[in-house]
Parts: sequence; structure tokens; C-alpha cells
Amino acid sequence: MANFNIDSKKARTYDAIVIGSGISGGWSAKELTEKGLKTLVLERGRDVQHIKDYPTTNMMPWEFPHREKLPKEVTDANPIASRCYNFKESSAHFFVKDNEHPYVQEKPFDWLRGYQVGGKSLLWARQTQRWSKYDFEGPARDKFAVEWPIGYDDIAPWYSHVEKFAGITGNKDGLDSLPDGEFLPPHELNCVEKYFKEQVSKQYKDRHFIIGRAAHITQPNQIHLDQGRAQCQNRTLCERGCPFGGYFSSNSSTIPWAMKTGNLTLRPHSVVHSIIYDDKKQKATGVKVIDATTNQMIEFYADIIFVNAAALNTNLILMNSTSSRFPNGLGNDSGVLGKYVAFHNYRATVSGEYEGFLDSTTDGRRPNGGYIPRFRNVYKQETDFLRGYAAGFGANRQTSNDRSGIGESLKDGLFQVKYGNWSVGSHMMGETIPKESNYVSLDKTQKDAWGIPLLNISVDYDDNDEKMIKDYVEQVSEMFTNAGFKNIRSNDGKRNPGNDIHEMGGARMGKDPKTSVLNKFNQLHACKNVFVTDGACMTSTSTQNPSLTYMALSARAVDFAVKEMKAKNL
Amino acid sequence: MERRIALKSMALAVGALANLPAWASGWTKETITNTAFLSADQAKNLVAIVETMIPKTDTPGAGELGVGDFVQKMVTDCYDAKTQSSFTSGISNLDQQSVQKSGKSFAESSKEQRLQLLKDLEASSDMAQKGFFSLVKNLTIQGYLTSEYVMTNITHYELVPARYHGCVPVKKV
Repeated sequence: MANFNIDSKKARTYDAIVIGSGISGGWSAKELTEKGLKTLVLERGRDVQHIKDYPTTNMMPWEFPHREKLPKEVTDANPIASRCYNFKESSAHFFVKDNEHPYVQEKPFDWLRGYQVGGKSLLWARQTQRWSKYDFEGPARDKFAVEWPIGYDDIAPWYSHVEKFAGITGNKDGLDSLPDGEFLPPHELNCVEKYFKEQVSKQYKDRHFIIGRAAHITQPNQIHLDQGRAQCQNRTLCERGCPFGGYFSSNSSTIPWAMKTGNLTLRPHSVVHSIIYDDKKQKATGVKVIDATTNQMIEFYADIIFVNAAALNTNLILMNSTSSRFPNGLGNDSGVLGKYVAFHNYRATVSGEYEGFLDSTTDGRRPNGGYIPRFRNVYKQETDFLRGYAAGFGANRQTSNDRSGIGESLKDGLFQVKYGNWSVGSHMMGETIPKESNYVSLDKTQKDAWGIPLLNISVDYDDNDEKMIKDYVEQVSEMFTNAGFKNIRSNDGKRNPGNDIHEMGGARMGKDPKTSVLNKFNQLHACKNVFVTDGACMTSTSTQNPSLTYMALSARAVDFAVKEMKAKNL
Repeated sequence: MERRIALKSMALAVGALANLPAWASGWTKETITNTAFLSADQAKNLVAIVETMIPKTDTPGAGELGVGDFVQKMVTDCYDAKTQSSFTSGISNLDQQSVQKSGKSFAESSKEQRLQLLKDLEASSDMAQKGFFSLVKNLTIQGYLTSEYVMTNITHYELVPARYHGCVPVKKV
């Protein structure tokens, strides 16, 4: 034991470190370990092992004492989490509680987080639409933010790579505004949705309605069976964790896959304080971690570091990683770190009813919905606002029972199910424009339980968003009217930014180190062995649910990083 | 049907029900029934109320299915203090009216008397009484329709449907 310190340091040294085990961190870990790198994954929360740690997954509705409603004590203590549609009795254990991890809201922002192995990949909505060339070209064409350093062709093979492994259901729709991927059989549209699809294509040559592409195994391939995953069983209880592995999560897929290589060390309860930069070597050498169970600071070392802590926490870690070379945060020569944060505008919905197909209904459950790809400003600027929105669309047959009276008549009435009209509904998913004035920063005085500065969040809607909401309501209401839907209503829920759980940016990719943090391979311009492949890297947001793009960027960046490491360029 | 059962037991075999997180430790049958919010008499009256609303016929009524405990649990855990106090005073008022009319507590009154007392409550012009009535009625319906008995034997809840058909004739459902 003479050289205890040397031995100990050796035991804490890996080829690569991945910070975070959510959707992008899981992918970084899978790709790194498959390429033979001894990889340490640091997760700030507890371990959640597939199936074993899904305590509610097979509970029947009557086994929940409040039938999915959360006790007032819980909702009062957690107003932010309680505004999430998915925070309920069966899933609340996968959400960060408001008071456990405070942050500063310079402007109202619902920061929804999942601190556990798998992160929010257990809770996500599983929609996986590819970006098109028109999405990547947005900032350059419309002159906002900075130009993306990559285009669709750069990422297309990596979309294919991750889709085949994750298992994506979808229909080959042949739309250049929403490229097709490697699809498993599509979910079925119901009668009213099929009817709406016909109406839309009849009445608009530039608008489409399709079944969503989603990370569900509708028919397993060998690669899914090899992961121990089975066909999706249409439970639609995904947020509890799926015992079949029917939908993609880090827990069901990438983490156990990485574990099987023998190259993964997974370390839960590891709160990353900062990344260590060595002035002499001019690169990062490791990560400072606070063990959440002992409160001890420990250092881990590696040649390559992937930051996948989820968009805003990745910003926090980079900003908190200061050195004499980087006094304002790691890789922040440009001064843009933390700035140009954006999100998705989900505020408005449109609903209505359809009086047709009254002899038909649906049977079973579908963990997916319909999707209207962006049709505004796709090929050229045509409205008084920039960019546009995609929209969800779905139809359901209404049923009701007779709840009048009391006694035996009530008891009978409860089982007299009457079929009403079909209800139809849509929600918007709008692109927001990244701006310098939408930013996150380290709070100057307040610190968390481990002495790490709290994150200040200052993000808001702007006039472009308001105009887009108005246009969405007008256009979708018109599409509903044209399809013969009745009783059309719209609603602006005025939800806070962040409630969409699509926060992006702060460490954006770009061609010019003077105006961006990352290069075209998600590599810090100024610190070549650190990569950021979660939402923090996003130069703009477009309208698609972003996780699939993070997965593809992660796999692509690992491929580059390992080649560079072998060429001794890192 | 057999496929459904097979799939469910497969899921159960690989799952782990006993492994609830610490913060969810309130989720056991014992704590549901051990709520000490209402007095024993009030709780008895509440069971009589839910049973009167949804009585035993050739299938069990709400009282027998434990819906009284469910209603009490919901009011205790999910409602504000104001609703809770109008809930307890609502039960007491109903009992007093019962005693005035027949000399018996609500729980000990005949089925017909109980039904009439609740109908009077529903027709009452007093907002507090009406509010109490609809709170209890809505929770009774919810608790009854989501009871194990009803979801298993009448509405046939499927944990694992393993299918989605987008267009089937209404008659076949």
C-alpha cells in the first residue's frame, strides 16, 4: 500500500467519463463502451434498474389509494412539478421535488427534472421526428442566432443508426419537411384521423397529417430482442417504466447494453461539481464529483469527457468549471455560454367534435398520436412571424354514462354507456427564437446543498411567439372547419416556458468560435477533449421533439471523438 | 383472454411490487383503512351514505366494496381544510336530520329512510348541503367504478391490452 495515492488515482482513471445517464448520456455510454473505451457514467441521482426499480409498473388502478391524484401535501409542496401532465401517483417518484433542488426564476420557468439513472428517458413522450434540411437551414436563412455547422446530410446516417437500435415506429410518408427514418410498422390512425388526413391533403397541397413517429417497438427486430426488449403491449402506462421494454429508455436499452460490454462503470449519487482543466496540458483531465451519500469530493480522470447532464445542468457545470485559462466557464471564450437558451412553445390547443363515423369506435390503447408537420415558412418566409409550428392531432370517441339520481337507478345508469360524437384535439409545438436575453447564469450568492451555485433562469416568450400562437389557432381552426368539425374551441394555457420540457441551447454549436461554444462535432472549440451532446448544444430548436436528434448527435460525436483519440488529436 | 392473462403474469413475474420508494410508503392497504379523520360513528354513517347511493343488488354495493374508506381517504389527503370541515359537518347534519325524523342514526335507519334523506339533501336549497352531496356522490362514483370488483368483473379493465384498432363497430365493443 506504499503507493496508495497512485493506486487510488489509477482506480479513478477511465478512458472516458459521461456526465449524466439520460437519453443522450445513455447513448454516449453505449457508443463509447462498444468502441472499447473504459467508461465511467456519473449520475447525480439514485440507480433505477430496468423492471426491478419500477415499483408502480404493474399496479392496478384500484391499488393507487388516490387513483392517480396526488395528495394535497405533495401538490402544495411541488407547484412546479405539479404543472407537468405526467406528475401523478404512479410516476411522481421519477420527478425532482421542487424543494429538494431549488433554482432561481428571474422569470417564471418550470424546470422539470428527473434525477436518477435514466433521467427523463423514463418519462418522455417518446415522439421521435427527424429534423429536415429546412430545419437546420433556419437560422442562416432567417438571420437569427448563428448558422448551424451541420446540415441534414451530416446527421442522416446517425439518425438511421440510432433509430435501428432504439426501435422507432412510423410510416414512410415521403415528406421532405419531415424525412422518413428506419421505421418499424406504424401505429394505426383511427377512422376520424384517417378522414382528417384525406381532408387535409384534399384541401391543402402543402399541409399533411400523419401518424407520429415514436420510440415504440411495434414489431421487434433481433437487435431489440438482444437488448432484452419485447413488443410494445399498448399499456400506455409508459411513465411508470415499461416491464416489456416496449418503449426506449436508457434503463431498458443503452445502459444495460453498455454494461454488457464489460466497459461500463455506472456511479449513481455522483453530483458533478465541475470539470477539471489542466493549464499545462491544455485540456480537461477529469471531473470533480461530490458523493451525495457521503458529501465527499472525489476526482475522476479520463481522456474524453462527454457532458450529458440535460441542457440547463450542462450549462451549469460548464459555467462552474473555472480555471485561469477559462475564468468565465469552460470553453467560454466567446462569452455566449448560458445564452441563447430556447424552448418549444406549447401554449395553445384547439379542440372540436365530429359527428360522423357514429357507428364506429376504437379498441385497445395507442401510445402515440397524430402529427401535423410544420407547414409555415418551410420553403420561404410567408408570415409576419419567423419559423413555425408542428401540431399534434388526435381523435377519440366520446362515451358517457348516466350519473343522475341515487340508489339502484344510479347503479344501473353508471353502466349504460352512451356513445357521443368524436372529440378531436390538437396542440401546438412552436419553434422559439434563441436570443441573448434568454439565458441562464450562476447565482452570485445562493448555493445548493453541495455548495454549487444555484442556477438563475431568465427565459420568456416574445412577440414572435404571440404571433405564432394566433396563427396556429387561426390555421388549425380553419383546418377543423374545413373538415366539418363542430364546436371548435381554442385555448391558450399560458404555460410557463420550461413546461414543454424541451429547453435547449446555452452551449450552442456553430462554425465560429467567437460566437459559439461547440464545433460541428459537438466538441468545445477551446477544449478539444470535452463534448456536449445534450440539449445544450442546440443552435436553434425547430419544432420536432428533440430527443432523437440528441441521440444521433451523441453517436456521431463519439465516433468522431474516438477517431480523434486514436489519431492522438485530443 | 388467456393471452391477456399470460402477458399480465409475465409482467408480474418480472416486476417487483414490494419495492415502493420510501416517500410512497403511505401506499399500503393498512394506511388506507387506518385514516383517523372521521369518528367511528361518522365513518359508519359515511359507509351507509355510499351504500345508499350505490346499493347492493345482485352485485355488491359501494359500502361493501370499501368505497367509504376511499371517500374518506380522498377528502383527508386531497382536499383543503374548508372542504374537509364541510365534509364532516355534512355527515353530522345528515345524521341529525335522521335522528329528528325517525329517532335513529343515519346508519341505523331503513333503506327507504336513508334514500329519502339523501334525496332531500340533493334537492336542498342550502349551498353547503348541495356541495356536500355532490362531493360525496362524485367520490362515491369514482371509488365504486375504480374498485377492484367493478374493474375486474364488470368493466374488465385490461392492464395489458396488446392491441389498438382504430376503427371497430360500436356494437362489438
